[in-house]
Amino acid sequence: MNRRVRELSERFGIPTEVFERLSALEDQETVFVGTPEVMEFDEVRPMRRGIRLARIYPYSVKPTTFGMQVLGALATRNVVELDDEQAKLLINGGSLNMEAEADNGFVLLRWKGFVVGVGFYKRPVLKSQIPRCRPVE
Amino acid sequence: MLGRRFPKEFVERYSQLIPDFDAFLEAMQRPLRRTFRVNTHKATRKQVLELMADLKPEPLPWFELGFSLAENGVGPSEREDARESTHFPSLGKRIEHFIGLIYVQEAASMAPPLVLQPEPGECVLDIAAAPGSKTTEMSAMMENTGIIISNDPSPTRVRGLIGNIDRAGCLNVAVCRMDGTSLGRALEGKCDRVLVDAPCSSEGTIRKSAQALDHWSVAAIERFPSVQKRLILAGYHALKPGGVMVYSTCTVAPEEDESIVAHLLDRQPEAEVCVAELPGLTMRPGLRGWGGESFPDAVERCRRILPQDNDTEPFFLARIRRPA
Repeated sequence: MNRRVRELSERFGIPTEVFERLSALEDQETVFVGTPEVMEFDEVRPMRRGIRLARIYPYSVKPTTFGMQVLGALATRNVVELDDEQAKLLINGGSLNMEAEADNGFVLLRWKGFVVGVGFYKRPVLKSQIPRCRPVE
Repeated sequence: MLGRRFPKEFVERYSQLIPDFDAFLEAMQRPLRRTFRVNTHKATRKQVLELMADLKPEPLPWFELGFSLAENGVGPSEREDARESTHFPSLGKRIEHFIGLIYVQEAASMAPPLVLQPEPGECVLDIAAAPGSKTTEMSAMMENTGIIISNDPSPTRVRGLIGNIDRAGCLNVAVCRMDGTSLGRALEGKCDRVLVDAPCSSEGTIRKSAQALDHWSVAAIERFPSVQKRLILAGYHALKPGGVMVYSTCTVAPEEDESIVAHLLDRQPEAEVCVAELPGLTMRPGLRGWGGESFPDAVERCRRILPQDNDTEPFFLARIRRPA
């Protein structure tokens, strides 16, 4: 397993089986993940393979919202459960003050069992790391 | 009203082509139903139905993952107002859309992947893919395995394509930004399935936006066949022996539909046009000729989806097999 993928798997308690049939590659400080067929495809040079899983920074690996939405569903650690209003607030770029059962650092934001994206928790402030999008109502 | 909205040339042209033309015209004036597809990469049908119960989604008769909205009994003429009202916030502004549990997609546009039937583990080419509705649908059908080469030559459109692939959670997609003809050549004989959802004059979008009618002209239709002919040949060349291709458009213009399939049969006489069927979806056979041109008998096996039959956009489909 790719080192960065293992770090994410460990931080969020994502079972390693989730990544078993997938391949990862690093390109320009970004980790992409996809099927082996996608990662090995070389008939032409694609502009994108699979989806972005994480950005690599000198002292941390930042998971992406879209990567975690699809691969973080089974996460067991550093997950913050949100109600409707909290979910909308964070999706729309806001932040919350809350006591969460999570370590400081990147956390997964879960609403009704679905990962909506990534946040950054520094007790007691939870900041949205979700990319700006059309406002959710 | 009809004379004002539809150009005389449009009426003259399609009254010759569509036997129940009045019903066609009436359907083309109605706004489209809002429809969406459940994205099984992220949620089950049951989960989505529970989350969206407030909108009373109704299943499409031909696709268990496709739904239309009941609009709370609002009649066709009032639908546009209803869409903007607070009772019907845009689907695109719902959390379910943001997290990719649903994909907002026109009902007839869900048909080409269903006719193509990609299977898990296969190699599939979507040669004109943006904005990605069919790529993401096929990705779900393939259960995030194998590979879909999803291509669009436009830098602007490819950005939207990548955004939709990300949101839908497609792990089995490689995105290319190439001329479709060059890509078909590079992938010669490598693909199990190919989708050529060709750029077209988009007459189907008239139901979505009345402005589409302002841009309608025969001259606009004549702009597309040359690229459509190149793409259908490129798609065919990318097929493995025994592979299957679907050619589709959202227009009823025979120059962009049957005539393009006839062109393929002229260049590749061994190509087999198969009947495309979707139980629950009414489709009509392809035309035998148009504008003085007679099409080969096999072209009749193509399928036309007309708005008055299923309350959708018009669509054209051809399922083509490269012999083994």
